[in-house]
Amino acid sequence: MRHGRRLFVLTFLLPPLALYAVFVISPYLQAFQISLTNWRGLSPEYEYVGPENFSRLLQDHYVWNALKNNAIILVALPVLTIVLALFFASMLTIGGRSGKAGVRGVRGAAFYRVVYFFPQVLSVAIIGVLWKEVYAPRSGILNGFLRTIGLDGLAKPWLGVPDFAFWCVLAVMVWSNVGFYVVLFNAAMQSIPREIYEAAMLDGAERGETLRKITVPLLWDTIQVAWVYLAILAIDGFAIVQIITLGGPGNSSDVIGLRLYDTAMGEYKFGYASAIGVAMFFLTLSVAVVALRLTRRDRIEL
Amino acid sequence: MNTLTRRGVLQTAATAGLLATAPAALSACATSDGGGDSKAAQGDKSNVNPLGVKEDAPLEVVIFNGGFGEDYAKAHEAMYKEKYPKAEIKHSATQEIGKTLQPRFVDGSPPDMVNNSGAAQIDFNGLVSQNALTDLAPLLDAPSLDVPGKKVRDTLLPGSLLPGTYNGKVFALNYAYTAYGIWYDEKLLADKGWQYPKTWDEMIALCKTIKAAGIAPWTYQGKHPRYMSWPILSAAAKLAGPEVLLAIDNLEPNAWKHEAIKTAADAYSQLARDGFILPGSEGLDHIQSQTEWSKGNAVFISCGSWLESEQKKVTPPAFKMAIAPTPSLSSGDKLPFEALRGTAGEPYIVPAKAKNANGGMELMRIMLSKKGAADFTRKTSSLTCVAGAEEGVELPPGLTSVTKALKASGDKGFNWVYNSFYRKLERNLVDAACGDLFTNRINAQQFVEACQKGADEIAKDTSITKYKRS
Amino acid sequence: MKSRFRVANAFSHTVLVGWAVLTTFPLLWAILSAFKDDNEILTSAWSLPSKLRFENWSRAWNEAHLGRYFLNTAIVVGGALTLTMLLGAMAAYVLARYTFRGSRVVYFLFVGGMMFPVFLSLVPLFFVVKNLGLLSTHLGLILVYSAYSLPFTVFFLTAFFRTLPSEVAEAAMMDGCTHYGLYFRVMLPMARPGLISVGIFNLLGHWNQYVLPIVLMQGEGAEKNWVLTQGLTALAVNQGYAGDYSALFAGLAIAMLPVLVLYLAFQRQVQSGLAAGHLK
Repeated sequence: MRHGRRLFVLTFLLPPLALYAVFVISPYLQAFQISLTNWRGLSPEYEYVGPENFSRLLQDHYVWNALKNNAIILVALPVLTIVLALFFASMLTIGGRSGKAGVRGVRGAAFYRVVYFFPQVLSVAIIGVLWKEVYAPRSGILNGFLRTIGLDGLAKPWLGVPDFAFWCVLAVMVWSNVGFYVVLFNAAMQSIPREIYEAAMLDGAERGETLRKITVPLLWDTIQVAWVYLAILAIDGFAIVQIITLGGPGNSSDVIGLRLYDTAMGEYKFGYASAIGVAMFFLTLSVAVVALRLTRRDRIEL
Repeated sequence: MNTLTRRGVLQTAATAGLLATAPAALSACATSDGGGDSKAAQGDKSNVNPLGVKEDAPLEVVIFNGGFGEDYAKAHEAMYKEKYPKAEIKHSATQEIGKTLQPRFVDGSPPDMVNNSGAAQIDFNGLVSQNALTDLAPLLDAPSLDVPGKKVRDTLLPGSLLPGTYNGKVFALNYAYTAYGIWYDEKLLADKGWQYPKTWDEMIALCKTIKAAGIAPWTYQGKHPRYMSWPILSAAAKLAGPEVLLAIDNLEPNAWKHEAIKTAADAYSQLARDGFILPGSEGLDHIQSQTEWSKGNAVFISCGSWLESEQKKVTPPAFKMAIAPTPSLSSGDKLPFEALRGTAGEPYIVPAKAKNANGGMELMRIMLSKKGAADFTRKTSSLTCVAGAEEGVELPPGLTSVTKALKASGDKGFNWVYNSFYRKLERNLVDAACGDLFTNRINAQQFVEACQKGADEIAKDTSITKYKRS
Repeated sequence: MKSRFRVANAFSHTVLVGWAVLTTFPLLWAILSAFKDDNEILTSAWSLPSKLRFENWSRAWNEAHLGRYFLNTAIVVGGALTLTMLLGAMAAYVLARYTFRGSRVVYFLFVGGMMFPVFLSLVPLFFVVKNLGLLSTHLGLILVYSAYSLPFTVFFLTAFFRTLPSEVAEAAMMDGCTHYGLYFRVMLPMARPGLISVGIFNLLGHWNQYVLPIVLMQGEGAEKNWVLTQGLTALAVNQGYAGDYSALFAGLAIAMLPVLVLYLAFQRQVQSGLAAGHLK
């Protein structure tokens, strides 16, 4: 049995590990190595410059500006997404008027669940192009809508204003993520016994109170998982920013992923770009370590 | 528990997997120059084959598939094939020049000729500083294919080589000739009885009239506000002479703080201050803003001569596109009103490690023949850097006005190249300053300071190679 | 009390409907725009197309070769998804339910892959693939897609396998089940919700993959092996030079519709699968 077990572990672990080592780990290791060089990515020549790239990083105000934006996303994206998703999920599960049938979701809950998930199935490229057109100052539907309902004063050249552009992008991030967490929270709430809610209703608890006192505590585990996923997402954010604003106006909506991309593919400073990547790696790692702590479960051993 | 053995096996397995692949890959990337033998194909030089093209050597060409398409290049390649029937030509076209070709440069197996252009072009500063390009001197000193008695160098429009010259050596052939100016619809102006203004005061006066008529006088490519740095620099050069631009290109201290640039920035920022710009322009990208202009929602826009082909699809039939130089800022301007920025653009390169570099240059010689250039103009509605090649080719209205304007500008034309020396300086730093200036967030003084700060950053950055021109 | 409830109720419903509009309207708008011509797209975003211009679609489908790219994408995504699920489940299962020295290291090796930006590895990756002779091939792309999906797949499935009850496994082992038999006959069927869940994630990820094909599918003749996102980007970039908005929107619609239709057809499974996978 022992022998069979070892063989089993090997046959199961080696093929994936081999594939992974060849195509992922070896390139990544080289990226770490490159972060210590001044390689400019167009010839095989480079010199080792030691930690120079990293000390440059510390003084690079463009990097810091981008990191500041990432920090805002790191807080705002999970908070907004989770709050919205919780609200929707609870409306869909227990938002209906409680009648004889007991607590149930609002009418059309199934429909909402389906359409809220739409953005999740679209690629970032499509989402980016779409929203760029939505925000367009003259032909876009956002300003068109505002003008139609008489709020001309609120119509803005959204992506052209440093004070708004970043928040516009953040809104798109929230928009594209909420649906997934609605489904997630919705499923989690199905497992909460209805009687609890019914009892709360009988006690005259209002919706907000129900949400705060019952739903959130009972869903706490799921919410933590959601936070972790969203936080990891927040550190990247590159694709959507690149498509919608390119980091502008000025650098007002820049993020660290875009900084890295620009440094590598725009300026061809691969040594320095790799250093930014290594820094990003450790940043995400710390978020993930927290994540793993939070989601750690007991292991069942054979 | 049989941990010892198990651990041994697993560790061996895991590390073996790593060790087997990593060093091989590492050496492939970093140390070797890969790609087999780097010996270039070489044929015998002769009068008909001054570059020594090996007649049966394959030729690989990569074209940027942008506004010009790729058909013109196929035509040039066919001419090459006609001359060297034994050569096999590999042609490909892409928009992602950088991502596509970068690994091949590292690998030492780049194509033989590349049209390095577009938003995703490979940074020239990087290419030149890493000796990745072939010095094009042999091509320029070879006799022209169809202008008897002249070297290729002498068949070009004056200044055409400047943008591809780095510290005195020509590494890029900028083929398409582009004029930068202010664009308008001649028909609209004629219908309304307006005159294109020759001085800035007249421009402001006209803007008032236009605004009163219910049209926005100006719009600009708000997401790429650097388009507005072009008339500012042009106006400054006309005011105080082209030395202003030389100083900027050479990153001289306080070059941007020159009084002329401040004056020009202040003049143009009045468009924003007095509300002469189409509302919402700062949120429009180049296509969106140019379309507003094509629709007649704005009268003037700053652009290069590619504008006509970019707008082809949405230009109303009656629209008569025309280019004009920037209005003079003062009566004492050093350059006349007609002076225009004309520059060769659309760079073509022969990589240093190209297997058939001579073939690559020969293809350029074909492009630079009168026949090749005229064919390009016909297919793309764009001028080339070959003098007079467009003669006899029927041109659309915008391009006709460009040739006229360039002729009027004559030897008073000027140019700057800091954008190809230091791509980031224009694309990021000056761009951001323009964005602030034309939304009234900063004034002209702050504008020149912001630009100067950007230039100083580049000047201080030891990882960027510096170039000088004269 | 009652009226306050009504007001709150009305507000909540408005928000619900509002969000539904937000998620559907832009998609409808994109699909409608695919029927407009460039003029209409650029100047009157709000209006309906003056007529149904199917030529936009055929232009995108034929001239931009989206038809061929569609097929290529299906091949690559199909292959990559199969391989990812096979290898990912195997690794995750062993890491979750067998303890051995170094298992944590292997686990973190996999999970660490989620935290590194892909485009830094692009150049080294190019050489790895080139040295294996797999540039511009579907097989190369399948292997690379699979390798880059392993981190999340392993991370997710490990957590999932750990939650499966060990009693069943123990009973099966008592019955003389081999490790292989246990895995294929007992554990894999029990892990179905988790597999579906991560499978959907990977399907969407592979379908929308963008950077990897650009770098790995290039050179002479590579175009015939391109995937949909490459074709779409070519359209989008081209639009920046030639202003062909209508073909761009048609291309967007072509790329978007199959995924949407698939989703609508299987939405029950998708939703329950995703939810089950994440909650276990």
